[in-house]
Amino acid sequence: MSISRREFIKGTAAAIALSTLGSPLEAAFAASADGVETWVKGVCRYCGTGCGVMVGVRGGRAVAIKGDPNNHNRGLLCQKGNFLIPVIYAKDRITEPMIRKGGKNSPLEKVSWDEALDFAAGSFKKALQESGPASIAYYGSGQALTEESYLANKIWKAGFRSNNVDGNPRLCMASAVAGYLTTFGKDEPMGCYEDIDNATCFFIIGSNTSEAHPILFQRIANRKAGSANVKVIVADPRRTNTSQIADEHIFFKPGTDLALLNGMAHVIVKEEMDDPRFIARHVIFRDNDGKEMTYEDYKKFLEDYTPAKVQEITGIPAEQLTRAARMFGDSSAASLSLWCMGINQRTRGVWANNLIHNLHLITGKIGKKGSSPLSLTGQPNACGGVRDTGSLAHLLPAGRLVENEAHRNQVEDYWQVPRGTIAPKMGLHTVALFENMAAGAVKCVFIHCTNPAHTLPHLNKYTPALQKSFVAMTECFMDAETVKYADVVFPAAFWCETEGVYGCTERRYALISKAVEPMGNARPVVNILMDFARRAGVDSKLIPYNNAADIWEEWRNMSAGTPYNFQGMTRARLARESGLKWPCPTESHPGTNWRYVRGDDPLVPADHPAPISFYGSATGKANVFLRPYAPPFEPADKDYPFVLTTGRVIDQWHTATMTGKVPELHRAFPSAYVELNPQDAQKLDIRNGDQVMLETRRDKMSFPARLTETCMPGLVFTPFFDRNKLVNRLFHDAVDNASKEPEYKICACKVSKQA
Amino acid sequence: MKGKRKFLLLLSGAGLLSVLFFAYLALAFPRERNSAFRHLEMPDELSDCASCHARVTPSVTADWKASKHGVLLVKCAVCHGDSSGKGSIPFAARPTQEEICFKCHEPAIKRMRARFGAAYDNCGVCHPRHQHPLHKKAFEFVSPSKTSL
Repeated sequence: MSISRREFIKGTAAAIALSTLGSPLEAAFAASADGVETWVKGVCRYCGTGCGVMVGVRGGRAVAIKGDPNNHNRGLLCQKGNFLIPVIYAKDRITEPMIRKGGKNSPLEKVSWDEALDFAAGSFKKALQESGPASIAYYGSGQALTEESYLANKIWKAGFRSNNVDGNPRLCMASAVAGYLTTFGKDEPMGCYEDIDNATCFFIIGSNTSEAHPILFQRIANRKAGSANVKVIVADPRRTNTSQIADEHIFFKPGTDLALLNGMAHVIVKEEMDDPRFIARHVIFRDNDGKEMTYEDYKKFLEDYTPAKVQEITGIPAEQLTRAARMFGDSSAASLSLWCMGINQRTRGVWANNLIHNLHLITGKIGKKGSSPLSLTGQPNACGGVRDTGSLAHLLPAGRLVENEAHRNQVEDYWQVPRGTIAPKMGLHTVALFENMAAGAVKCVFIHCTNPAHTLPHLNKYTPALQKSFVAMTECFMDAETVKYADVVFPAAFWCETEGVYGCTERRYALISKAVEPMGNARPVVNILMDFARRAGVDSKLIPYNNAADIWEEWRNMSAGTPYNFQGMTRARLARESGLKWPCPTESHPGTNWRYVRGDDPLVPADHPAPISFYGSATGKANVFLRPYAPPFEPADKDYPFVLTTGRVIDQWHTATMTGKVPELHRAFPSAYVELNPQDAQKLDIRNGDQVMLETRRDKMSFPARLTETCMPGLVFTPFFDRNKLVNRLFHDAVDNASKEPEYKICACKVSKQA
Repeated sequence: MKGKRKFLLLLSGAGLLSVLFFAYLALAFPRERNSAFRHLEMPDELSDCASCHARVTPSVTADWKASKHGVLLVKCAVCHGDSSGKGSIPFAARPTQEEICFKCHEPAIKRMRARFGAAYDNCGVCHPRHQHPLHKKAFEFVSPSKTSL
């Protein structure tokens, strides 16, 4: 082929011109981004909303993500979900097993799977032989797959005979669990997300829904935008973005919400917005000790919570409290309460949960479309994976209790182990577990899918526990703080690299299908757990599974005959559908939107005389508790005059081991800061961006200041995602008496400008 | 003749070098990164893009804040990418519908296409992305000139 000089020069010039316009490779890449070969159905890895996702795969690699149009999120994803793909291919993914051969101070070294598993199993075996089952523990997660939590629970409670099975849901959902249990007799909400589309009054308390559950907030905002009759009440000592759609934002002194809730009940009863017929049929009043009381006793109890008295305690103007109560109690209103960590992470978290339920029970605003107390879950599988499978120290699967002999026997029979195998005493709840690790009583812990060195309260007290104990952990990311304390790190298959079920806030179970192969030598956690357990001496007959699907089969069949019945959710059906809500007893059952409701819940007989049946409780009725106001554990005082609180921001999730890998998210909130009210800042001569020292009775730490009206005067806020600022070092570890959940939301602190 | 051949060889060598040079420039500094240059000097601020754009493009930022996307905290980077150029979507002033809008709104876009056809394929004509207030009408016709960023 011959080219003339003129042709050559023309060609070169054209090439140069083209290259300056945009690279051909770039164009090719842009074009191929559309070339997804298959879309694989799953669930978002982040919050408890449980949005359905579709992962786009090309050439064995995940390349795209979009919302599942058939799931409750109707194709929408928030920014975190939208940027999940880069997390899979993060540079610091752990892809090889690692151990510390020379103790805690030696470096982690890559080893074979056999060596790592033997190393971990050997340590656990030694502890079991020398100190018994109480010396080992499993610390799990509301992000673990259901099959993983169920399996770990079985291995520990029936295999090792240790009830030391707990996890991070203790730090976020335990008070909600105890709230539902004490009021209704069984855990888990009766309502669902469809209530959002039918509610006319939203009562949001202790939840920054807009940042913590963005897709639910979008649904609430849509409902609000669609009708002028829809009212939104937000009660929060911070005026967060959630309040942008509020008709009433109620500021109250942190920790006084029990008085606020009793105050609303007072107005409802006083102004006859109660429903005596519903109360007579479905409610039992009980005092703090569970003794039966009358409605008249309850009315007398509420006399202490007149709007004027509540104003003294909470700082809420009496008129505003009355307005809010009227909105909620209006006979034509469908009222939906939503709450999250602001209520749960409290030393009186269970009481606060009970008092929210009270509002619904005295008004009869429950079990009707749009009317429900719906607790929002923080993690994607705390409900389905941990609460329902009973993977906590006091629980057994499907709402059974460790300390109930009949329950233990049922589980032992189903697991085909001799009666008496499961220890009759409950295990150690999270804070007690780490206390026992620090004291040397618990010698080995297996940590799965969570980062306690970052998230435990009063960290200075508990990091020595991790230093002292033998720590085996599964982890995907090297920058998780807990890796620093691990003796063995097992590389876990991440999210869509394996398959399993997630169960979200509204009792919806959905399958995450495997889309891509695990990175490097990472393995599915069910395989890691089974291999570890066999090497540590657990009978293989107890764990006869080939994969997660086998475990699901066992758990699905175990739920039959219980109030959690989801026997109709076969693996094939879950793969086909975009989530199903239990109870769902048969394959032809469509799932249950409204639990306890005749005609919807298959566990309520069709001929039940009333439209609602609280069958979870032995009496068939729900309890309204007379819970008095009690202050937080550490209110502000003259030495520590501010209240410090903590929480999430929209762009980061938990300890940022995932969101921190995504530039679009991380650069929006790269580091922690302290949020201060301008009035306070003025008194302390603090300007935007100044370094501010926060000092509590545990520790002190400096942060750049952000002046904003978000916090009410006297309150400061700092997010907890930043691993360079472990804010939990500042917080105390006082827990709720009943749920054992720590009070992360309130501690006293000093604020000063740093020189 | 020999000299002419030598000249042609030299010329083709120079041409090849210049192609490689410009190809390198285009690959190393694609359009997104060139526009990102303006942002590279920005430190990691206490807040995100909006805090600076409230000063440099105040009307756009105010529109966004009042819009559905603003109220729902769908922040700049979600559609416009990250200014470091290291993100997974292009850093672009005008995000493409297929690449960006589709991620969240695919079902709605498909419904609209089925109903109105390709003639109404530009979502922004009727649903201006920065001017879609939550508390006003959910559907509002705005002349195309107002939809520009």
